[in-house]
Amino acid sequence: MHVDPFGKLQSDPWFLSGLGLALLLGLAVMLGPLAAPYDPHDMSFVPLASPSAAHWLGVNDGGMDIFVELLYGLRNTVAFGMAAGGLALVLAALIGMAAAWYGGWADAVFMRLADVLLAIPAVMILIVAAAFFRPVPLSLALLLALLTWPSTAKGIRAQALVVKNRRHILASRQMGASNARIIIRHLVPELFPFYLIAFAAKARMAMFMEATLAFLGLFDPSRKSLGLMISFALKYYYLDIWWNWLLPPVFVLSLLIMAVTFLAVSLEKRFDPRLQEAL
Amino acid sequence: MSLRIEQLSVVYRDADHGLLALDGIDLDLVPGRITALVGESGSGKTTLGKTLMRLLSENAQVNGSILLDGRPILGLSEADFNAWRWSRIAMVFQNGAASLNPVQCILDQVAEPLIVHRGLPKDRACGLAGCSMKALGLPAGLHGRFPHELSGGQIQKALLAMALILDPEVVILDEPTAALDPMTRSFVAGIVSALRPRGKAVLLITHDLELADTLGDTIVVLYLGQVMEVLAAGELFDRPRHPYTLALGRSYPRLDAAKDLGGIRGDAFYRRLHAHPAGNGSAHSHAVSPDSAHENGHAPTGGCLFYPRCTQAVEDCAQAPVALEAAGAGRLRCRRGGIVSRLNLEGVAKRFGPVQALAPTNLTLQAGEVLCLVGETGSGKSTLAMIAAGVLGADQGRRRFEDRDMDKWLRRDYKSLARRIGVVYQNPAEAVSHRLCVADIVAEPLQIHGLLPDPTAIAARVAELLAMVRLPANPEFLRRYPHELNLGAVQRVCLARALALSPSLLVADEPTSALDPSVQAKVLKMILELQIENGLTLLFVTHDIGLARKIADRIAVMHAGALVEIGPATAVLGRPIHPYTRMLVNGAGPAPPAPPSGCASAQRCPDGTKICFHREPERIGSDPLRHAAVCHLDAAGRTQHQPLEGGDR
Repeated sequence: MHVDPFGKLQSDPWFLSGLGLALLLGLAVMLGPLAAPYDPHDMSFVPLASPSAAHWLGVNDGGMDIFVELLYGLRNTVAFGMAAGGLALVLAALIGMAAAWYGGWADAVFMRLADVLLAIPAVMILIVAAAFFRPVPLSLALLLALLTWPSTAKGIRAQALVVKNRRHILASRQMGASNARIIIRHLVPELFPFYLIAFAAKARMAMFMEATLAFLGLFDPSRKSLGLMISFALKYYYLDIWWNWLLPPVFVLSLLIMAVTFLAVSLEKRFDPRLQEAL
Repeated sequence: MSLRIEQLSVVYRDADHGLLALDGIDLDLVPGRITALVGESGSGKTTLGKTLMRLLSENAQVNGSILLDGRPILGLSEADFNAWRWSRIAMVFQNGAASLNPVQCILDQVAEPLIVHRGLPKDRACGLAGCSMKALGLPAGLHGRFPHELSGGQIQKALLAMALILDPEVVILDEPTAALDPMTRSFVAGIVSALRPRGKAVLLITHDLELADTLGDTIVVLYLGQVMEVLAAGELFDRPRHPYTLALGRSYPRLDAAKDLGGIRGDAFYRRLHAHPAGNGSAHSHAVSPDSAHENGHAPTGGCLFYPRCTQAVEDCAQAPVALEAAGAGRLRCRRGGIVSRLNLEGVAKRFGPVQALAPTNLTLQAGEVLCLVGETGSGKSTLAMIAAGVLGADQGRRRFEDRDMDKWLRRDYKSLARRIGVVYQNPAEAVSHRLCVADIVAEPLQIHGLLPDPTAIAARVAELLAMVRLPANPEFLRRYPHELNLGAVQRVCLARALALSPSLLVADEPTSALDPSVQAKVLKMILELQIENGLTLLFVTHDIGLARKIADRIAVMHAGALVEIGPATAVLGRPIHPYTRMLVNGAGPAPPAPPSGCASAQRCPDGTKICFHREPERIGSDPLRHAAVCHLDAAGRTQHQPLEGGDR
């Protein structure tokens, strides 16, 4: 029934720690360009310089400030994750709702398609596509969304099927409401918490995927990315740079994944009564 | 010996207007039959009676013909007709005391026709009059009294005696029971029905519909001087065909009906004739409402006279005059062929998995009636109601709504059908979205159909609807969510939502189950008002027989997925036929299976004998010192009692 969705969350350590991390990283993402003392592509510094007051995390092999690189890399990773997560969610919601509401033919086609896509490893397709077509990040995010909607769509479809047969929706139908009206006014709001959870899961996966692809060198090398930083840092592994060059991107990436995971777990706990009992 | 009225019209003339009191009346008064004339005041009932007696005032202009045995009454000279008046055609006037001479004793007055018409000597006449009055229940002791010394009932009897004294062929009774107590009324009714075997042609003018229904062989319904419907005996309440007859019947306080009195919307009009100074100058009639100040206020009714007050009227009804046509056992003047059927279910059935929730069922809902579906839980009431509302599909059978195939309609133009059917669901809390506040819930159908121009109009309508169901419409309440309201309020919100589009059919599944009696009373009154004002048809599902008795025109009883009895509420509850209905009415459930005879422990008793299964052992007595058990056997296992002779069954 009608609940205060965030009431119980306030005392949930998962949620609080996730929120804290997310705020911190969010702040870095928002204010990164303002806070960065240098241009990320400025190569005028002494390569491989150790951390100093001017360069908090030192300078990399190309003469670029590592701290600034970190700020911009984080931004790109987060942006990619959000875009892919958002696109996947919209796709999944549209398809899941349509399958549940219209049923029959639409349901069968979409759900079989989902089964097929679930069987294909998204990483493989993505690597192949990135290697062959060198797409811009947004296209890659779209491709990722196109490959990963099925699990969310199936969840939304299942939830919508439950809600669909509630009496107030039948009543609305009896009153002459159109399909679009029922879906928008009644079905969509009914599944609200589910979107948050699904979005968090997809975004987390997409962020990790972005770092992976960048690490593998499948993105434009001039594009700042946490994965790319790790990949370059590893090349100079024999120098004593691991703590100021390799560790920071690994650490930030881990924090990012943790933040999103914690939020997702706490939301899931909050809104899925079965999980609530189990935990 | 019959009296035939053909195309009779009467206009009361004044300076430049005419009041059309009777318009094209065709009527036969047949010997041995009672013709009851009913209608609201001002419908022309008394005018017709007086016209037959030629007692109308000077300004009355009479057209048409009245034939008594083929001889026209209207053409006779005053002297010729005087010879007929009272001897062949007599009348008992309304307001009896006023038509008696206050300074003559009643015996003289009753004897007067004998003296005047038959020329009998006075003592003989008085003797005959005395006999006749005694036969009508006036003891001799009263004969010498003056009118003011008699009660209303006694005067009525005296007037009847006077009217019948010359043994006329045609008797006109104008409100013979108007001011009488029930005992006297039934006595007078007995006298009137005794005229039938005497071969009299009786015209019974009355507003006592129950009397008309029980006494009349033919019932003529008059409205604004026109015959609206002619019915056979006993049809007035139970099978009226004209909406006016139905509404009239609903307005009458019947002895055996528990339903609240209805009424007819609007007021009766008078029909004025007037010539236009300009224009073609021909006289024609307009319906003018009695309170309309301006004489020339045109409210032209070119069509059916009842059109402005009829709840099932369509555009067409206002266009051309309607003729009186044969219908069933009588005649009917209605463009739509009488009361239309709003919903027609033919052999609809529904099965949920292995359960036959509804056996093939026929059900017809007439426009403007309240049908209560009663029965116990699981009897298929809700299933039938939801099929009627179009919410559930039927497995088989046909559904027609307003004479159109409902299933086709549902497929092709769902929305326009939804506008005509309002539904109140059984569980109000489930039937509203918990995400919408009161204002949004009630506004939803209005928003869907977009009939109102803007949000302000919708808000106004929402407030109006909430007022109808006795809920506040202040901003604070409008912003509340269903879970913040009590169940009764949610139920009323559902009802308001169902009524939002002014549907012509309301299917309500226990719509007042969560209301306290005082609110329920108000809400039901409101619904019945909608029935009268808008002709709302109501399919009301309830398990509360008392409630059904109070609001239903008809009651349908369901049991185990089948309709077991249906009929007028008074008949179904007053004289139930089906045993299940009888049990429902008596409030008793089906009797539990009879307990096994004999000792209750016999089945498990190790020492049980044959007698234990047949006879109940003696109960424990009142002796405080005795060790007692309820058993046929003593400690030694012998039977204590000999079986009664022949008691072994």
